[in-house]
Order: sequence, then C-alpha cells, then structure tokens
Amino acid sequence: MAAEKKEEKVKKVVVPKQKVDFKTYMRRYWQLYFLLSLPLVYLVVFKYVPMAYVQIAFKKYMIGKNIWTMPWAGDHGFQYFIEAFKKPAFLKALRNTLLLNALDLVLGFPMPIIFALILNELPFKGFKKCVQTIAYMPHFLSWVIIGSLSLQLFAKDSGMVNMLVTSLGGKPIPFLTENAPWVFTYVGWGIWQSFGWNSIVYLAAIAGISPDLYEAAAMDGAGRFQKMWHITLPSLKPTIVVLLIMNLGYIMGGGMERPMALGNRLVSDYSEVIATYVYNAGIKGSQFSLTTAVGLFQSVVGIILILSANFISRKLGERGIW
Amino acid sequence: MKKKILSLLLVCTMAASMAACGGNDNGGKVDPEVKKAAADFENGKFKETKHIVVEIYDRGNDGGSDPENNMYTDYIKKGMLEDHNVDVTFKKVPRWTEVEEINNLLAANTAPDVCVTYSYPTIQTYANMGGVIDLAPYVETYKSDLPNLWNWLGDTNINWDKDPKTGTLWCVEAKLAVSNRVITFVRQDWLDKLGMKAPTTKDEFEKMLVAFKDNTDTLLGADASRMIPYSVSYDVGWRAATLIESFLDPKMSDKEYYINGFDDRKLTENGTKEGVRLLNKWYNMGLMWNDFAQYGSGDTTEDDMMKAGFVGAFTHNWDYPYRNGDDSINANLQRNVGKDAKFVAIDPFEDKNGTHTKFVSGPIDRKVFFPSTNKEPLASLLYLDWISAPEHIQYLQIGDEGVTHDVTADGAIQVKTATGNAIMNSGMNIDYTITVNGLKLTSEELTNKSRALNYPGIPAEDVMNSHKIANTDLRIGKNVNVGAIAAEEGVGDTLSQLRDTVYDKAVVASVADFDKVWDAELKNYLSSGGQAIIDERTEKWKEFFGDSDTLK
Repeated sequence: MAAEKKEEKVKKVVVPKQKVDFKTYMRRYWQLYFLLSLPLVYLVVFKYVPMAYVQIAFKKYMIGKNIWTMPWAGDHGFQYFIEAFKKPAFLKALRNTLLLNALDLVLGFPMPIIFALILNELPFKGFKKCVQTIAYMPHFLSWVIIGSLSLQLFAKDSGMVNMLVTSLGGKPIPFLTENAPWVFTYVGWGIWQSFGWNSIVYLAAIAGISPDLYEAAAMDGAGRFQKMWHITLPSLKPTIVVLLIMNLGYIMGGGMERPMALGNRLVSDYSEVIATYVYNAGIKGSQFSLTTAVGLFQSVVGIILILSANFISRKLGERGIW
Repeated sequence: MKKKILSLLLVCTMAASMAACGGNDNGGKVDPEVKKAAADFENGKFKETKHIVVEIYDRGNDGGSDPENNMYTDYIKKGMLEDHNVDVTFKKVPRWTEVEEINNLLAANTAPDVCVTYSYPTIQTYANMGGVIDLAPYVETYKSDLPNLWNWLGDTNINWDKDPKTGTLWCVEAKLAVSNRVITFVRQDWLDKLGMKAPTTKDEFEKMLVAFKDNTDTLLGADASRMIPYSVSYDVGWRAATLIESFLDPKMSDKEYYINGFDDRKLTENGTKEGVRLLNKWYNMGLMWNDFAQYGSGDTTEDDMMKAGFVGAFTHNWDYPYRNGDDSINANLQRNVGKDAKFVAIDPFEDKNGTHTKFVSGPIDRKVFFPSTNKEPLASLLYLDWISAPEHIQYLQIGDEGVTHDVTADGAIQVKTATGNAIMNSGMNIDYTITVNGLKLTSEELTNKSRALNYPGIPAEDVMNSHKIANTDLRIGKNVNVGAIAAEEGVGDTLSQLRDTVYDKAVVASVADFDKVWDAELKNYLSSGGQAIIDERTEKWKEFFGDSDTLK
C-alpha cells in the first residue's frame, strides 16, 4: 500500500511538468522501446495473430477455405461446444484436469513456502546454497526425462523401488498401473520437479523483510517458530496471494507433456486431461473445430477464475495482480 | 501515455493479423479436361519442367542414410527428369507419428504433392473438408499415359476406394505383393535345452511357457529374474493377433466379419474376448511381461530384451527377428547369447476346426493421395507410374550388384549389408516403393528364388519356414465398398487408443475381475463411437447387399 501511494505522489508531481508528445518520448527513450520491441513481436506473432483463428470454434472447419469464408457451425455457432459436452471422453478429461490440478494446488502450493521457511532457518550459508541448487535442478528436466525416470524407479517389474520391495518380501506397489497410486505418483513428481524453483520467489521476499522486525521480536522473547509465524509468514502474505491467484488460473489449464510422459493406458481413466484430449481429437483426429471450442472454453474459464480470485482478494484487502 | 501506446499497438496488430488471414482461398474444382488442354504434355513428357514434392517416411535409424537424399532418391530424380521432365523433391515425415505430421502439413497447406499414409479415415476427413483431389477423372483420362500403374495396381487397387454412389476417388491403394502378416516365434535353443518339440496347439504352447518359467535358472542363469516366457507389447491386438484370431470362427460370414471389423485389431469381432481371457490367464500365471503396458509405440525396450535373450516367445510381423541385417534380433542373439541362439517361426494357435486360420487384409497396403494444394496432379500420377514400373521396383528393392546385393550361381539375388548412401532405411526400400509392399522382382521365378536370401545373415530355411507358416490357412479380406461411413470420421485415433486400453486393462486384470473389466472397457469403447460404426455398417450392408451374408 505504501509503495502505491508513493508512486501516485511521484506521478502527480511529474506528469504536468512533462507534457511530452510521442516523438519526444521516442527520441529520448528509443533504446528502451527498441528493447521492448522484441518481446512485443513475440507476443504479437505467437499470442495475438493466432487469436484470429479462435473463430474456428464457431465455424465448420474446411481445409480448402480460409477462415473468413468457412461456413458457421450450427446452433448459432455453438454446435461444437454443445457437442463437446455430450462427449464422455471430454467430460472425463475435464474432470481429470480439475482433479489433478486441484491436487497439485492443494498439495503442491504449500511446499515451496515450507521449503523457503526451512531454508531460511539454516545457519550455514554454504549448506543452504548447496541444498538450494540441488532443489532447483529438477526444474530443468523435461517431462520426457522425468517420465522415463519414473519408469526406471516405479515400474512393476523392472522399477528400482519395486525390485527393492519384492526383494524384501513385499508385493510390488502399483505406482504406475492403478488409478489411485498413479494420481499420487503424478502429483508427487510435480511437487518434486517444482518446489525448489518456486521457492525462489519466497526466498527473495523473505530476504526483503527488515531485520529490525526480527530483532524486535527477539527482544520481546519470541522463539524461532513465533518469529516464523508472526513475522515471516505475514510478510510473505502478499506474495502468497499473488501466486495463489495466478495458480488458480492454471487450474483449468496445464500442458500435455506431464500427463503424456507419466500416463499410460492402464490409468487412462485419470491420465487423460484436456490438453491430451485436444491433441488426440484435434491434431490426430482432425476435429479442429471441436477441439478449438474446447480450448476456448478452457481459456475462458481460466480467465473467469483469475478475475474472480483477484476480485475476492481485493475485497479482502489484499493486493491483487492488477 | 505508455499504456495508451501499448494498447494502441496491440489493437493495431490484432487488426493486422485478422487482415493477414484473409487471403489464400484456393477452393473450387479443377477440371481435368481444361488441365489436359492447357498442359504442355506430349508423348509422356512435359515441355517445361514440372516440380513435385513427394512424402517419404523418416525412420530415424541409427546410422541410416538421409531419407531425402541418397542413392535411391538420386535414381528416382534422374529417371523422372529424363522420362517425364519432372523434377522431384522429397520431404521426410517421421514414420511413427505420420498421421499427426500429415495432419499438420495439410492444415498448414504445406503438405507434399504426393502423400502417403496407412490411415484411410485421415484421407476421408480431409476429403470432406475439400482438402483432397478427386483422382477418378485423372486415372481414367490419363489411363494410356499410366501403363505401369494400371498394370501393377489394376482396377482392383486403383478403384478400391471409389465411392459407389458419387464415383469420387480420394486415393489409390498400394498393392501387397505377399499377404504375410503376423506369426509366432520361439527360441529354438531353449526348446532344445529342455528337450521339447515346437508346440502345435495352445495347450502345448502354454506348457512350453510354463516349462520356460520353471527352468529359468537353466535357461538364463544369473539373469533368471529377467525371464519373460511370452512377450506382448501394449498393442495386444497386433502382438497377439494369431492367438486372438484362433478364437474367431474361421467360417464367419463376410457380413459378420465386416460389420464388426472396423478395428483392424479385431476388438469387436465375436470370439476376441476369449482370446484375451487366455492372455489374461497367462499374465496372472506370471508368463508374460509385467510392464508391457507402460512402454509406448516406437519404444525399443522390448526389442532389447529379445536381443538380450530374456524372451522365450513372441508374436509379431512374419519376418520380425530377421529384419535390419547386423542389427536384427537373431543377429544380436547370436552375439549376446551364443551361436545356436535364435528365434524360429511356429504355428501353435489352432482354431475350432483344428486349422490355423489367419485373417489377413485384402491386397491393399498404404494409401496414396494428392492434397488439393497439389498443382501438378498429372506429374504426380506419372511419378506413381514411374515407381510402379517393374524394373524400377526391382532396382529400388535390391539396389546395385556388388553394393547392396550379389547374384548367386543360380541367378538368385542375395541381399547384403550396405554402407553409407546405399543403406536402405526400410526393408526392400518399402518407403520409396509406395505402390508395393513385399518383394517383387521382374519375374516371379526370380522373386521366389531370392525371397529367402533377402535377409543378410539369416539362414534361408528360417525365412522360408516363416513364409510358409505366414501363408498357412489364410482368410484374405474382401473389399466391402459401401462408400464413406460417416461414423468413422475423425474417431479413428481416439478409438485405436481406447481399443489398446481395453486390451491392456483386460490382460492385466485379475482372473476373477476379467469379465467385469472387459465388459466395462468395451462398453466405454462402444459408447465412444464404436457402436455407431457397427450400426452404420449394418445399415450400409443392408442397403448394398440386402439379406445376403456373403460378398460376391
């Protein structure tokens, strides 16, 4: 809040003085705009140009025609949306997307916070750096690699873990071959891959907390846990809220690499998500209109989720992402 | 101010991008008569050089030759330029993801002029979107310019997919030179060690698998824990095909076979369930590979286990252990296990009549089609004609003497391992001879003589034994041509995946749960589009053939 106010003050002072026009702006800051142009070009080419094709969701896709002359789909253009919701495969994919992402959020979201708190308590700098670096590493592994790691570790016959279990006289655990254990394997790999990397933000926020607060707390006789609870966590609250809002937006999303790499036919009741459904029905099954409709639906729900989470958090007196 | 500039920029680009998508409308039919009049085509040759792009599978072989540029592409390019004044370029497409790749290329309007795929539904789907050229008028109009194509494929394969009502023809079917499909292989040296004979019935086969399992220490020693008596991959319907087919009625009517026959892995045929029940029993007896369902298409884990000598028996393409020269499964076995280690073909799955009926497809193979972006349909057809000429097929299949083959004393062709540019990335260069599958030399006598010598390093009698078994009790598929089945469009791949799911889950279920799992998963398959196909096929059969059960 304080920071915002300061900004406003600065603006009030500066703006009337410099009523500069576009040209002057450009002349003065052209280097900055030049730098900005690269990401802008990226956004335009990969995010805005493709938006023109969103209309495929409302039209009957014809390969020989361009999108402006394709005929409209039935039901006022909503034919494919209605069709999608009649398809059991899509409904299953929708359920799985929500389920897996919700589990990711519930189990995975607190992990980096806890990790950052623990790291913060470590007195030996060298050890801390070392742990941090190791924890970041999985983030740089692609899901394909994690997928084969997963096979090497958890397969029923040849997986290391199950070999150990059977050699100790136990029955092999169906990590990858039965629905419920697979869901937890899936979520577990997700946490393993991302908790270290995601903790960076929190560590940075923790580094920004004024040491005065801790000193004052120590003077009042606060112990480690009390300091954590009364100083570190409350100071992290804005960061946590912002990240939570952003994560809520992903609850309908998610890429296809992870379920593809970790899933298999035996658990397809749970490993088929919207992204893999779109790939299979769209790219492989050439039902372009249907899958564009599904993709659009996914994005719209994602936006609604973000907006409402943002709205609620502002109502509750927190900073949103806007 | 900054914000305003930014938003203005974004709005502008949105507008620009919308406008940019406006052009490029290439609808409308091409009239072949107009084309013919306009073409500068005389005596089989163009006056002005035409350019076409041809799809070629990329198998990504270790140490293979460049699929777009090697001894064989040079041969084709040179020949096409000399004979027809057509300049040919090749475009590689990954073999194991060909459908996805071709879909992408078609959707982006950058597909090659000559496309090839195994998936007819893909072609049908694009044809419905106006993305494929109707070949019917071309193959008729230019019949006299395409003698080799008509000679080799004939009316049967050229017009296989011709719509009986509208007369449209979206693709021509390549021809199978041999009908060999799937057979079963077993480790000869293991049978010898245990003093067993090759099994000839399912019972004997099961006993053999149990014997393998009971004697792992003798057979594998230190690697005993790696033993897999019978190996099947995730694609159960293919990799246990002869077993499953042995539970089908060999005298099943054409009608019944067709109606339930959308899935080429026979999931919905009557009898399949019992075949899978037997697999399920074996799985639960510990006779199969526990992790089979977790490895996908193109994964080499299973092949590696065969090569390492852990696998006792498996079912696969009729020449599978002989393929790839020095890297063949049998060659690897000899290196890794010993001189006498090898897989040999057996025929152990008897049907209810005591025969070994194998349900093979009709004489069709890959489908060749021209997307509507093809501006040179005639030049493209001439290409197909050129690669269908007997002497061209022969060269592409066996290459140069002394380089890729030797000629034996009695005149047979003995294929040998090639190096560098002369390496064939696929057996007999099947990827270049897109109108033929199987050895087809200039004379039948030469073909038969050479067949056994087609696999470097593999004894001739092993190959001939496989060939003989693969040709025992064949039931060859017929062409039930009732036009497009609407329910089959766009669901092919989804249903293939669901089919694999049915098979995989049923095999790994507990014996007690088998019926429950099979029924539930099959129901899922049927409700996801399978039943609609069966219903529409039933209707169409009635429309075209009435109450008759057999195809004339």
